[in-house]
Amino acid sequence: MEQLFEEMKNSVLEGEEKEAAELAQKALDSGMDPVAVMDKGFLKGINEAGKLYEEGEFFLPELVCAADAMKAALEVLDEELKKCADNNTKTGKVVLATVQGDVHDIGKTIVGAMMTANGYEVYDLGSDVPNEKVLSAIDDVKPDIVGLSALLTTTMEQQKNVIEMIREAGKRDEVKIMVGGAPVSRQWSEKIGADGYSDNAIDAVKMAGILIG
Amino acid sequence: MLMQTKVLSDEEIRSIHKNSIRILEETGVKFPSENALDLLEDAGAEIDREKEIAYINEDMVKKALQTAPKEFTLGAPDPKYDLSLPAAFPTHNIDGCGMYVLDHGSRKKRPGTTKDIENSFRIFQTMDQGSIGWAPIVAADLPPKAAGVMETGLFYINSSKHYQDEETSMKGVGYHMEMAKAILGSWEEVRKRKIYSATYCTVAPLCHDHIMLEATMELTKYEAPILAYPMPACGSTGPASLFTNVAMANAEALSCFVIFQLCNPGTPIIYGAALGSINMKSGIFLEGAPETALQLTAMTQMGRYYGFPTEVAGCLSDSKEPGMQAILEKYMNMEPLIGAGADVVQGIGLLESSMTLSLEQMIIDDELFRYAVRMRKGIDTSEEKDLLEDIKAVGPEGHFLKQKSTRKLFRSDEFYRPKDLIDRNSHDEWISLGSPDMSSAANKRVCDILAEEPLRPLDRDTEKTIREIMEEAKAKLSS
Repeated sequence: MEQLFEEMKNSVLEGEEKEAAELAQKALDSGMDPVAVMDKGFLKGINEAGKLYEEGEFFLPELVCAADAMKAALEVLDEELKKCADNNTKTGKVVLATVQGDVHDIGKTIVGAMMTANGYEVYDLGSDVPNEKVLSAIDDVKPDIVGLSALLTTTMEQQKNVIEMIREAGKRDEVKIMVGGAPVSRQWSEKIGADGYSDNAIDAVKMAGILIG
Repeated sequence: MLMQTKVLSDEEIRSIHKNSIRILEETGVKFPSENALDLLEDAGAEIDREKEIAYINEDMVKKALQTAPKEFTLGAPDPKYDLSLPAAFPTHNIDGCGMYVLDHGSRKKRPGTTKDIENSFRIFQTMDQGSIGWAPIVAADLPPKAAGVMETGLFYINSSKHYQDEETSMKGVGYHMEMAKAILGSWEEVRKRKIYSATYCTVAPLCHDHIMLEATMELTKYEAPILAYPMPACGSTGPASLFTNVAMANAEALSCFVIFQLCNPGTPIIYGAALGSINMKSGIFLEGAPETALQLTAMTQMGRYYGFPTEVAGCLSDSKEPGMQAILEKYMNMEPLIGAGADVVQGIGLLESSMTLSLEQMIIDDELFRYAVRMRKGIDTSEEKDLLEDIKAVGPEGHFLKQKSTRKLFRSDEFYRPKDLIDRNSHDEWISLGSPDMSSAANKRVCDILAEEPLRPLDRDTEKTIREIMEEAKAKLSS
């Protein structure tokens, strides 16, 4: 059993999506407790990946691949996990999007990977996400945090528009909003009424932790 | 392909060679040594005994270039640091002959001491790109005539790499070789392993120094390699055009090949250069000028044209402190040398036209060197680097972070990853690290290295012997 957990951990750490999914399926088929599978197997791998990234040992490709392997395992285990009342493994739910009109998704992908590595349930809406879609994701996912990314000075304005739209819909108090991206600054974040900002993925996770306390 | 720097065409190289031969034949070179003049005369040179000038003909040069080996190894006490020449990629060595130190604690300039030299050797030992040691300064607390031998001893006590120094006395040669024998165990090994070599500076224009010439001739008996190191400065000790100053420096270098091949045919000689220009107002030798870099690059090309290993001054600055001017000048003169294929770039650590040692500058220069080497490696277009299949797999949109090739190549030398000296963090991360700059990061590294236990590579008996030789040299050479 210990060896199986070790394999699960390594499948994530090595970014092997297919292997992670297969191991998750194997665990379910043999009737293993999905919570234990997460805690003792896959989560250990993703936590380790996040730690190695923070320490500078892992580069972006390793981190992103590990996060995707983790997601692959989660997809298999998701339904069974939901049935377990004592499933409290999640730190929080995060919806991420690169704003409308902006197709640059790498920065947001990195933040998503790092969030995943730190136990968040990440819903990545992709890039060039229409503002309305962010709003509807708040209803559907009920996230703790919404993260909005923009790489261009011409698209960062959309961060402001999304926040206004959320406020007008009366949902501003339901979520914390974080903004990021190359042209974005702390001043901008404060000006448009976001709750948090960071200029790198490691600090983004720390900021998320502070926001949902 | 590799990044390749050229400041001379093939035709221009041949033209410089021809001019150098004319200089040797028509103007001649002064050899203030009866022994040297005898050897040169026997070999066919016309000699003016009164003026001590030898007129060296083209045949003599041809013969010297034939008997000098094109490939050899500068051995190190620890064979893992052996430097086989020519090298696939360049290494660097410490600059030498300074007088002062920018104290790494107070950052104030003061006369250099034995302790500073030891510190520089300890730092040099940690640098995997560093191949050849040289005392960066003449320590003010050592008797000047014994300083060379004492510093050689200090090097072998603190480092296990190759050492190169000037021969400033006949007795000094003996002490240097005794040290090599103490480390290697026998004269045969001294000849074979070559853990010591000599820097040999000609005195521009077109002179050899009496003592240094005779002492270095003595050294050829031990088959030790010699770095021929002409250093005329445009307008003062050399003509004012780069083209002709290079031709004269090359003539001086060729005269070294001739005399040392006559002393002992087969003596390994490294083709070197430390040319420059001068401050037109003060006459001070200028190291950081673009014209210095151009001439040194030309000399590197000349050395490679003849097919010999090259070791060229090329990490030079006239700046008084580590900082913007130092970075500008040092990188400017280092990169083209490396691009021209220099085997060893001399030398790291000095500022103020090679007068003042900064331990931080050693660390910074090592980093500049790494950048220049990455530039030299150029763009690899081999099959491994053809990633068209990845483009097909990712398609328009998406990203390449998850491609196996990305993971692999991020870990390879396709991308140079600087360590602590270069800041590539986000602004917030940089602030949280205390807003480090290159100089403060280098100072931290210096302090970290010096806080470690010294290496002391020699066994106790050998170290004792080396110290005895140092003491004897101190007593006998000082008087």
